[in-house]
Amino acid sequence: MEITFAVLLWGVRIAFLVLLYLFLIRAFRTLQRSLAEERVTMAARSVGLAVLVVTQSHAGGPRVGERLPLRAVNSVGRDAGNDVVLNDDAASAKHAVVSFADGEWWLEDAGSTNGTLLNGTRVWERERVHYGDQVQVGRIALRLERVQ
Amino acid sequence: MMGRTGRMMRSRPVARLHELQLLVWVAALSITGYLAVVAAASGRFAWPELVVPAVALAIFGLLHIFLVSIGFRGDQLLLPLAVGLTAIGFVLVERLAPGLLLQQLSWLVIAAGAFCVTILIPRDLSALSRYKYTWALIGLLLLISPLLPVVGREINGARIWVGIRGIAQFEPWELVKIALVIFFAAYLEEHREMLSTPPRRIGPIPVPPVPYLLPIVGMWLVAMLVMVFEKDLGATLLFFGIFLAMLYLATGEPFYVVLGLLLLVGGGFVAYQAFHHVAARIDVWLAPFSSDLRFDTGYQLTQGLFSLANAGLFGAGLGNGMPERIPVVWSDFVFDAFTEEVGFAGALALLALYLVFVYRGMLIALRAPTTFLQLLAAGLSFIIAFQTLVIVGGNAKLIPLTGITLPFVAYGGSSLVTNFMLVGLLLRVSDITARVRG
Amino acid sequence: MSRSIAANIRRLTFVIAVAFLLTSIGVGYWSLVAADDLNADPFNPRLIAAVRDRPRGRIVDASGRVLAASVRDADSYRRRYTDRSLAEVVGYASFKYGASGVEAAYQGSLIGQDPSDLVGQWRARYLAVRTEPGSVVIGIDPKIQQAAVTALAGRRGAIVALDPKTGRILASVSLPNYEANLLVDPAQQDTAWDQLNQNKDKPLINRVAQGLYPPGSTMKIITAAAALENGVNPDQKIRVDDPYQADKSWGDYFVRSSSGAHGDFDMSLAFQRSENIYFAKLGLTIGGAKLAEYAKRFGIGRVPALDLPAAKGQLSNSGQLERPTLVADTSYGQGELLTSPLQMALVAGIVGNHGVAVQPHYVTEIRDPNGGVLRTIGGGAADQVIRADTAAKLTALLVAAVEAPGAFAFGARIPGIHVAGKTGTAENPSGLPHGWFVGFAPAEDPQIAVAVIIENAGQGGVDAAPVGGAVMRAALGK
Repeated sequence: MEITFAVLLWGVRIAFLVLLYLFLIRAFRTLQRSLAEERVTMAARSVGLAVLVVTQSHAGGPRVGERLPLRAVNSVGRDAGNDVVLNDDAASAKHAVVSFADGEWWLEDAGSTNGTLLNGTRVWERERVHYGDQVQVGRIALRLERVQ
Repeated sequence: MMGRTGRMMRSRPVARLHELQLLVWVAALSITGYLAVVAAASGRFAWPELVVPAVALAIFGLLHIFLVSIGFRGDQLLLPLAVGLTAIGFVLVERLAPGLLLQQLSWLVIAAGAFCVTILIPRDLSALSRYKYTWALIGLLLLISPLLPVVGREINGARIWVGIRGIAQFEPWELVKIALVIFFAAYLEEHREMLSTPPRRIGPIPVPPVPYLLPIVGMWLVAMLVMVFEKDLGATLLFFGIFLAMLYLATGEPFYVVLGLLLLVGGGFVAYQAFHHVAARIDVWLAPFSSDLRFDTGYQLTQGLFSLANAGLFGAGLGNGMPERIPVVWSDFVFDAFTEEVGFAGALALLALYLVFVYRGMLIALRAPTTFLQLLAAGLSFIIAFQTLVIVGGNAKLIPLTGITLPFVAYGGSSLVTNFMLVGLLLRVSDITARVRG
Repeated sequence: MSRSIAANIRRLTFVIAVAFLLTSIGVGYWSLVAADDLNADPFNPRLIAAVRDRPRGRIVDASGRVLAASVRDADSYRRRYTDRSLAEVVGYASFKYGASGVEAAYQGSLIGQDPSDLVGQWRARYLAVRTEPGSVVIGIDPKIQQAAVTALAGRRGAIVALDPKTGRILASVSLPNYEANLLVDPAQQDTAWDQLNQNKDKPLINRVAQGLYPPGSTMKIITAAAALENGVNPDQKIRVDDPYQADKSWGDYFVRSSSGAHGDFDMSLAFQRSENIYFAKLGLTIGGAKLAEYAKRFGIGRVPALDLPAAKGQLSNSGQLERPTLVADTSYGQGELLTSPLQMALVAGIVGNHGVAVQPHYVTEIRDPNGGVLRTIGGGAADQVIRADTAAKLTALLVAAVEAPGAFAFGARIPGIHVAGKTGTAENPSGLPHGWFVGFAPAEDPQIAVAVIIENAGQGGVDAAPVGGAVMRAALGK
């Protein structure tokens, strides 16, 4: 076997092992970075505008006590594309919209099949929501709360 | 007004820089490994032979572009890890069974297609939970399909294949595991309260009413039937392992795991006494080097251990070992082959890659917004972890050898397709989390 | 909700991580810890590939006589063996049944990967370029070997002769032996292998190092050494009355004198007549702990540091001497003692070599293909086992045991040379007692130490002594 070929081949073999480790290290760094990013978004979430706290749910829905963060405008519904995803057969794909305008929170039904309830009353047009009010979407009940 | 939000977010491309960066490393790794194997086999550096890895890399790149173009917001680590492991798998197929390389490449195309379909359909992932008994039925049908007269095939003593002679064979078991995880996730989400708060306790042991125990016993019975009729220890173990792990995830009740393991060991012991194919596996595991087994049923395992022994810390070098002496090395013993040529150091890196994958998958499960999605993601991640542990443990004589394949790396179309679908599902869960938590 | 799913996920992930760690350790075990054994396994295809298509190195004796060489067969190389009397030492290298003896122990050197040649090993492993194998030289002297074969005359047993100063083994015979050429002949190997493994006389065993026997009276050398170094005066007479028991607690158990003796014995007379009761009393005087300590110093119950497989032997079943009857029996070589002929030759060698123990070895040199010496074997650590003056006193006693009128070991006498020696007759469960002889010569400056065992010999040690004498005579050119 020609000696330069042997040396080259060994170079490639060693490079493979080195690259394997570099790839592993890169992957590990990415894992760490995404963890850190998630922590940042969690922190950002806790200083967000407000939260909807799940007060009543069913198996398959969000966990009771879970805090869903709210932005300025939030679509609520069963579809995964919504800002607030509620996994509930009784909820429509696009069920309702919760928004913040003029220093107040507002709730609006987005043409859902089964309707949206605010403190037990069906919402027909845009209604004001106070902190502590109950919002019912399908079988899931939510309470609007301030962020601490 | 708001109704279009979701669709609009999907259609707007989102840069995935971490993923892209990692894919570049995969490309370097893949080309280097392939080059070494080809050069060692042919005695020269043959650039034209790099076509196959180039095509594979192009497919990986297309998957990345696909995710970017649909504005996918899910995790950026899992795809490069899966693709990196697949690339290592291609290097090993070229090393151990070059004749199967093109076949594996065509399976990769199908796997990439299955991945894209999984990303796009169904639009609402949670909808999967609504048809749980459909999944159970599909799973059961797939499970017994190899026993059916026309399509069933027995290969290497295990009746776990369906196919048409001469055209294609598929291991339905591979798809069963995903159907099972979906079914378990949906079923346990619904019943976890009743399973985890039993009415009575005797000491530390919870005693749920008999109807609640039925699913455990039922699953155990199905697992035992698989072992007896399909003669496949691996499928039995994976089947029962997934069930126990998910039962634990849902209930947090170690008692069920203990009960399940006892049932498994008891069933295994009876099977050892009663069924030749089970006894043979156990005997080989206990003493593969004994004089009456080493040239017989123990041959494969002893050759695998010789292969490991030749590894040392840094291996014999790609293309420079003799792992091809292990029968069916490309599907059953890729781990030993890899270790022989890249060394214990390489084996550690490989195992670490799997661990990072599983860890990432479990994190996705932790963050998932609903119980169903949590159970789904954790169950899917567990499959990868469990398969890796069972086959590597079998290759290293830590546990009896089974026919489970090393995910992504081992040659095999059914498992490649299924594992890419699995990655797709995990990515979907992380995408939903990202959107919900924004 | 009993516990959150998040906690369960964390716990499961932790379990998975631990399982990965354990699996990694398992892989590390095979690839690093157990690797040497598996790599040397004769069925390892990597090893077979390294030997099948190329000749192995030759095995030659001290005179240059070829004992094993490779000859070209149809599609591979086959071994040819020339001296059946060395079958168990040289061993065999079969593609089917693996290797034994020097063929196995020096496998690396014989396939061109001598452990001292790191560069050669790397070239073989990483570049598949193999060094041409040289030869392995064993220290067997053909003249002494031939004398040993003739003297044993086909009887079941073993003879070993070694140089007490260097540990080099000069002759090694173990009977019954086997025809190694049959084991490497594809046409006959299966039948031969089955027959050899079914033979209850175990011809594949090298009785010299792997055969274990009660040492009988040859053990008295060790008892005497322990006594001499613990204040016993060899000239002081001890009363012997057959049969003997120390006290009534022995019940119906007695030590018997082989000659039914009644009288006063000093140590010299006791050696000449091999008087069991004298040595039993000696052992009881110094005590079981001291006797056990000296037995261990002489290597009883330890594996000799031989370069071929060797058996361990034992002082007693428990490794201790806790009962007085066991102390008494061990003192004259019965009890639960087991040793190999090699071990007893080493005991004689220690006495002859002024109390210094050396490490025994069959192979003396590894040579490269051009005949240059790659490395030499031997010269390991030498231990002072007993004091030089004790060794000198023992030598005088052992010379008397051969030369005095009426001495049992008279058969080992060589005219014009002082021979030191001791016979033994080992009671055993397999029939007639085994006959032992151990000794060395010339007594003042020994060139050779021997041990002879003849299994189920008619007259015990009396049969073995002339065999030992013949071997020593051949070594000294008399």
